Amino acid sequence: MRFLGFLTRRIVGIAAVMVGVSIITFAISHVIPADPVAAALGDHATDQQIAAFRAEYQLDRPLPEQYLTYVVGLVHGDLGRSIRTRRPVADDLFDSFPATIELSLAALVVAILVGIPAGVWSAISRGRLPDHLVRVGSLIGGSIPVFWLGLIVIGLFYYQLGWFPGGARIDNFVTPPPSRTGLFVVDSLLAGDLVALRSSLLHLVLPAVTLGYFSTAVIARMTRSSMLEVLGQDYMRTARAKGLQERLVILRHGLRNALIPTVTIIGLTFGSLLSGAVLTETIFSWPGLGRYATAAAVALDFPAVLGVTLLAAIVYPLANLVVDIAYFWLDPRTQRG
Amino acid sequence: MSSSLRQLSIVFAIALLVAAACGPATTPGASGSAAPSASPTAGGAASTLVIDRDTSDLISLDPAVLYEFSAVFATHNVYETLVKFEGTDLSTIKPSLATSWDIKDAGSTNDITFKLKSGVKFASGNPLTADDVVYSVQRAIKLNKSPAFLFTDIAGLKAESIKATDPTTVVISLPKTASAQAFLAILTFTIGGVVDSKEVKAKETGGDSGSAYLLDHSAGSGPFFVDHWTKNTEVLLKANPNYGGTKPTLSGVLFKHVPEPTNQQFALEKGDIDIANDLGAEQIAALQGKSGVTTTAADSLLLVYVGMNATVKPLDNVNVREALRTAVDYDGIVKDLLKGNVKKVQGIVPKGLAGFNESTPFQADVNKAKSLLQQAGQTAVTLDFLIPAGPAPGGAAWSDIAAKLKSDWAKIGVTVNIKQTTTADLLGTYRAQKGQLVMINWGPDYPDPDANVGPFTDYKAKSIGWRNGWDDPAIAQKGRDAALITDPAKRAAAYKEITDYVLHNGPYVVLYQPSELFGFRSNVKGFNWSAIGWAELASVTK
Repeated sequence: MRFLGFLTRRIVGIAAVMVGVSIITFAISHVIPADPVAAALGDHATDQQIAAFRAEYQLDRPLPEQYLTYVVGLVHGDLGRSIRTRRPVADDLFDSFPATIELSLAALVVAILVGIPAGVWSAISRGRLPDHLVRVGSLIGGSIPVFWLGLIVIGLFYYQLGWFPGGARIDNFVTPPPSRTGLFVVDSLLAGDLVALRSSLLHLVLPAVTLGYFSTAVIARMTRSSMLEVLGQDYMRTARAKGLQERLVILRHGLRNALIPTVTIIGLTFGSLLSGAVLTETIFSWPGLGRYATAAAVALDFPAVLGVTLLAAIVYPLANLVVDIAYFWLDPRTQRG
Repeated sequence: MSSSLRQLSIVFAIALLVAAACGPATTPGASGSAAPSASPTAGGAASTLVIDRDTSDLISLDPAVLYEFSAVFATHNVYETLVKFEGTDLSTIKPSLATSWDIKDAGSTNDITFKLKSGVKFASGNPLTADDVVYSVQRAIKLNKSPAFLFTDIAGLKAESIKATDPTTVVISLPKTASAQAFLAILTFTIGGVVDSKEVKAKETGGDSGSAYLLDHSAGSGPFFVDHWTKNTEVLLKANPNYGGTKPTLSGVLFKHVPEPTNQQFALEKGDIDIANDLGAEQIAALQGKSGVTTTAADSLLLVYVGMNATVKPLDNVNVREALRTAVDYDGIVKDLLKGNVKKVQGIVPKGLAGFNESTPFQADVNKAKSLLQQAGQTAVTLDFLIPAGPAPGGAAWSDIAAKLKSDWAKIGVTVNIKQTTTADLLGTYRAQKGQLVMINWGPDYPDPDANVGPFTDYKAKSIGWRNGWDDPAIAQKGRDAALITDPAKRAAAYKEITDYVLHNGPYVVLYQPSELFGFRSNVKGFNWSAIGWAELASVTK
C-alpha cells in the first residue's frame, strides 16, 4: 500500500513537471528573437508564402491562444506538426526515439558491466595497481569530451584497425528487421534474423562505448567508494568469521549493500546518457532523438523542440521511478516500510 | 518464473547474442559494407552505388512537393520531364519526353505545343500519355506546395493553362508577361516530373492527390524507382525495368544519411561507399594522394555575396559601394581561405548559366578605393556587418571570411562591426530591410539567368534588390525585358549589359561561386554533377 501511494504521488509529480516544462519551453521558444518561418522557408519565400505559413502553423495568433491550442492538442495526443519535416511530431519521435533508447541502454549495459566490477576490483585492491588503473581510467572517463572520444574511437577502431563499423545502425546492404519495438537488436531477435542481429550489435559497439564511458567512470567510482565503506562494516567481519568464502562475502554481503547508492547513480546516469546522445548520435550518424533535437533546434522547429522536451520530461522521472523500484528490491527495509 | 528458469533464459539469450556476433556475416563498414548475401532487397550490392550525404533536408520524394537538395538529386533520376538539360550544360534545352516544342503567339498568351515521344512506359508498365502530363502539372498547381510558385508565380500558370489536344500533344498557354525560356528551364526541374496518373489516382486518400503515397514511393518513368525511404537513414533507388532509355548498369543507388564529412571521408577511404557528397576543403586535402580515391570540385550555382543596404548612409552613395567592392582581396579569399575550391566570380549570374559575365574587375586596389571614398566625401565609415553562424559554402567559416573582409576594409578606413547570428535570424533582419552589410549566399530557383537577374535588380520583386533598398527602375525593366527575349544571342547580349551595369552600380560585393566537393572511389565513372544539383545516375558505372 505504501508503495502504491508512493507510485501515485510520483505519477502526479510527473504530470506536474510536464505542465511546467511545456509552459517554460513554449514561452522560451516563442520569445527568442528569431523567426522560424525564415528558417523553414529560407531566402526565396514571398510575402504571400510567409503569410500562408504563419496561418498554417497559427504563428499569427496571440501567444496564449497558441499555447492553449497546443495543450488541447496535447491532451488528444497531438504534439503538433514539425516545421522542418512537415510531419506530425509524434510520428517523428516514434521514428527516432527507439534508436536513442537502444543506444542509451547499450551504453548503460556497458557502464554497468564494466563500471561495477571495476569499482569492486578497485576497492578490494585498494592502494595497489588495479586500484590505480581503475582510478586513472575513471578520471579520464569523467573528463574526456564525448565528441572527441567519438572521433578517436572511429579513427582507431574503424578507420585504422577496421574492427567495428564507424556509424549508422546497420550495414548498408543488410535489411533492417521488421519494426516491432524499433530496437534493431530486439527486433532482429524477434525475427530470428541473425545477420541483422550481428550487424546491429556490431554497429552498437563504438557509439555505446563512447556514450557509456563517462557513465562507466562515474559508476566505477561510486561502487569503489561504497564498497570501501561496506568492507569495513561489522557484518562483513561476521560473514568471514562464519567461514564464508571470500567471493561470497564480497558479492553477497558486500556488493549488494554497496549497490544501493550505485543504483541511484545509474538512474541519474540514464538521464545524462540521453543528453550525451545528442553528440554521440551526430558523430556516429545515429538516427536518434539527439540528432532530431539538434536539427529541430537549428531550424527553430518549435513544435519538435517542445515534443523532445516533453519526452525528456517523462523519461527522466521515469528513470528515477525505476531506481526507486530497484531500491524496493535491493533494500528489504523499504519493503517492510 | 523460477530462478533456474530465469537463469536458463538469460544464458540462452546471451548464447544467441554471442552466436550472432560470431556468425557468418558482413565486414564492418562506416555505414556498413557490402554483403551480397545479406539483403535480397538491395538488388545486388556489387552493382549498387552507395552515396553518403547529409539527407536531413528530405521532406518528401513527391515531385510536386519536394524542393530540397537531397530530394531533387534523388528524384531527378526517377521522373522524366518534357524537356531537359543534358549533363552539365545548363544553357541548351534538349528534348526529353517531348520530341519537339513550338512557341506561338496566340493573342493574349504564348502557346507552347509539345509533341510527346511514343512508347514511353512508367515503372508500373502503364503507357505515358498527354493526360499524364496534364495531370502532373495540374496536380502541382492544386497541391500548391513549396515548388508550386515556379508554375503559378514565375510562369503565371493556372490549372486551365494546360490541355491535351490528343494523346501525344500537350499545349501550355503562358501569359505574355512570363518568359518562355524561363518556363522551359522550370520544366527541366523536378516539379516538371511527369507522374503516372493512373497509379497516383489509385493511391489517393482523402483528396490528397496521392501525396501521402508519393511521399516515399514513386510513379515515374525515369531510369530508377524509389524502393524505400527509411527516414533519417537511407533512400534506395532501384533500376526501372520499364525504362525506355539506355538502361543503367547500376542495379540501384543507395543514398545513406551520413551528415559528418569526416565519417564520409573515412568510409570512402575504406571502400565502404562509392561517393562522398558533403566533403569540405579539409577532407578534400586529406584525400589527396590516397590510393583508390579521386576528388573533384564540381560547379554549383550559388553565389556568396555581401549586400549593401542603399537606404543606409553612406551606402546610398554609389562611390562608397564601389570603394567597398574595390578594396576586397578576392584572390586571397579564393586561393588562401578557400584553398581554390571556389571560383572567382563578381557578377550576379553564376558561371554555368546563360548570361554569365566573365568580367572580374575588382582586386584589392586600396588607393583606388580610398579615392572613391574621397569622391563620396567620406574618410572614416563605420557599419554593422551581419553574418550567419557556421560554415559558408566552399569550406571556410562565415566568420573567417568576415574577418578577412573586415581587415581589407579597415585598410581604406571602413570599420565594420561583425555581428554573427543564426541564418534564420539574419534572414529576418535582411528581409525587413534592416541590415547594413549582410553576407549570405543565393542560388537560383531554376536554371535561367532570370532567376538571378530578377531578384537582384527588380525592387518590386521584393527580393534581394528590395532588401538592399536598391530601386533602379530602368535596370529592373531591362531585366524584365531580357527575360522575354527568345533569341539566345540577343538574350545573352541583354544580360551582358545588365550584369555590367550591376557590377559597378548595384549594392553587391559578389565574393565567389562555391564548388560542390566530391570524393569518389576510383572505379566510379560517368558521374557528371550538374550545377543545378543533380547527376544523371543512369550513366554512372562502378
